[in-house]
Amino acid sequence: MEVMERRPNIYLPQIARITGVRDETPDTKTFVFRFRDDETHAAFTWRPGQFVELSVFGLGEAPFGFASSPTRKGSFEITIRAVGALTRALHAMGPGDEVGIRGPLGNSFPYDEVQRRNILFIAGGIGLPPLRSLIQNMFDERDKFGDITILYGARTPTDLVYKSELKEWEQRSDIKFMVTVDRSEPGWQGNVGMVPTLFPKAGVKPDGTVAYMCGPPVMIRFVIQDLVSMGFADEDIISTLERHMKCGVGKCNHCCIGHKYVCRDGPVFSYKQMKGLLE
Amino acid sequence: MSRALRLEKSRWREWVAALQKASTVIAPVRLHGDDVAFERITSPDQITLDFDNPQDSPKRFLFPQVEPMLRYHRNGGYDVEPLYDEEKRVLFAIRCCDVSAVRFFDLALGVPDLPDSYYATRRAHTAFIALGCNAPCRECFCVCANTGPFLPSGGGFDVQLTDLGDYFLVEVDTSKGEELIGAAPDLFTSASKDDLAERAALDKAAEQRFPRDPRLYFSASSRKVSVDSVEEDLWRRMAEWCVACGGCTNICPTCYCFNVTDAQANGVGVRSRRWDSCQYPGLTREASGHNPRPEQLHRLKRRMFHKISYQYGARDGMQGCVGCGRCVRVCPGIRLGIPEVGEAIRRAEWK
Repeated sequence: MEVMERRPNIYLPQIARITGVRDETPDTKTFVFRFRDDETHAAFTWRPGQFVELSVFGLGEAPFGFASSPTRKGSFEITIRAVGALTRALHAMGPGDEVGIRGPLGNSFPYDEVQRRNILFIAGGIGLPPLRSLIQNMFDERDKFGDITILYGARTPTDLVYKSELKEWEQRSDIKFMVTVDRSEPGWQGNVGMVPTLFPKAGVKPDGTVAYMCGPPVMIRFVIQDLVSMGFADEDIISTLERHMKCGVGKCNHCCIGHKYVCRDGPVFSYKQMKGLLE
Repeated sequence: MSRALRLEKSRWREWVAALQKASTVIAPVRLHGDDVAFERITSPDQITLDFDNPQDSPKRFLFPQVEPMLRYHRNGGYDVEPLYDEEKRVLFAIRCCDVSAVRFFDLALGVPDLPDSYYATRRAHTAFIALGCNAPCRECFCVCANTGPFLPSGGGFDVQLTDLGDYFLVEVDTSKGEELIGAAPDLFTSASKDDLAERAALDKAAEQRFPRDPRLYFSASSRKVSVDSVEEDLWRRMAEWCVACGGCTNICPTCYCFNVTDAQANGVGVRSRRWDSCQYPGLTREASGHNPRPEQLHRLKRRMFHKISYQYGARDGMQGCVGCGRCVRVCPGIRLGIPEVGEAIRRAEWK
């Protein structure tokens, strides 16, 4: 065998600094990062749908999708809910604190190949952040795409992320944007009900439309059924799969579904591809 | 590249001694209780060449059970430094199945677009001297994995030895192999055509000596595993014999699942990886508590899928089982070695 190249070391994180933190919900925050090394920072780019392995030194690494668009350089954002030891530690950190970043990793949402087509986004809860990366990217190149519809649902109004940005989306005349919540709260005057209840209100139709969705597995399952029964083609239904990704580079075998690696072959899969996964 | 030499049997220790000058030599050593294991040797006299395949494969010398990957210091901010193991090693007298397992590791971890730096570094500094098998070991089935009893040129060895009575036939297959010969060139003479013919005859004879016809193990079971046509109830009944000890995967020369952990004290930390196992529920459990492989039957199914499915064969470029038979020996449930499970799948029967 030929001697294999040692570098670049696919496990070596780059040091990044938190430059900002925004509260989204009681358990979710958006972190803004910048690489400590200017050269690394200038060279860094990604595609919506990709993710990073983020190190909190002493606790290890966990995977997170980009929440901001590569067209908005200068920093990158990740929105994180505190659910385990690593994410709780991260929530205790603030501007100036350092983490490790490995990435970008994984494949990405179809972008160039969907130009001029109609776009439908369906997001549930904390599933909006990875789609926001793509939404912002499409907004910044708005003329390349047909109609854009964004449907977003959360458990309660409190659980909605990017609240001030959602208001801006509501003001835009070049997209259709609707929000719903499973359970209302005092002061909420918007839609109540699961995300699919928005489909007739938004006039969701398959013609030439590509659907991108991200949310809890149970939502994905029902939404896929609905879209298929409406006549969406399997290859036009795009989602991300969640597995316990450890190494992020298709080596450690934590995230396999059949012989596919969510971290390396995904995390973005079409429904057509998902149906071919054996497990 | 390939050429054939002879080495008098009375002189192989001199060769090992010469190799020790530039490299750490790792070879089969007989331990207390008569177990044979691969160990770092300090003298060629420690080596035994009279052994069944050791319980432990030499995997740990290329992919240690616990492997430090990087060190970090907190000094205001963090500084990160990778930790590479660049010890020069010769693995002496490893069996053809284990050499084939290294070829599998090269394909799985060394893939050219995303090479694993730690494995690649160790691999680049390690040479392999294989010892072909004149007779099969008790549980092995290399003939059905196409990984033995002897290897063809290009099979992954740098040098392959064949015991021809008073001397070894020495096949040199790589430039690394030439370096190994170069450590004591005077010990070697040219081999004859007869030597190679004798090797071929030994290969045939060894194949005849496997206890059952092991070619049965894979063809039908691979197909069934690949198209997911094995009844869930069969998986369930087989999995009842599994205690989820992870022995089969730890002992397997091709298993490479790993987990990564940090340990830190006083601002200095080390990130390490350690062997993990598809037989443990924790491999796939997510932070939410959701587990996509909730029961042991799913995990047994997973192990077989990675070992013998066509999909993985195509992905890795090689079947994931090299037929060493270690999982047969190690299973405390006795029955969940790859051949037994493969046979049950083929016959759709588990008694």
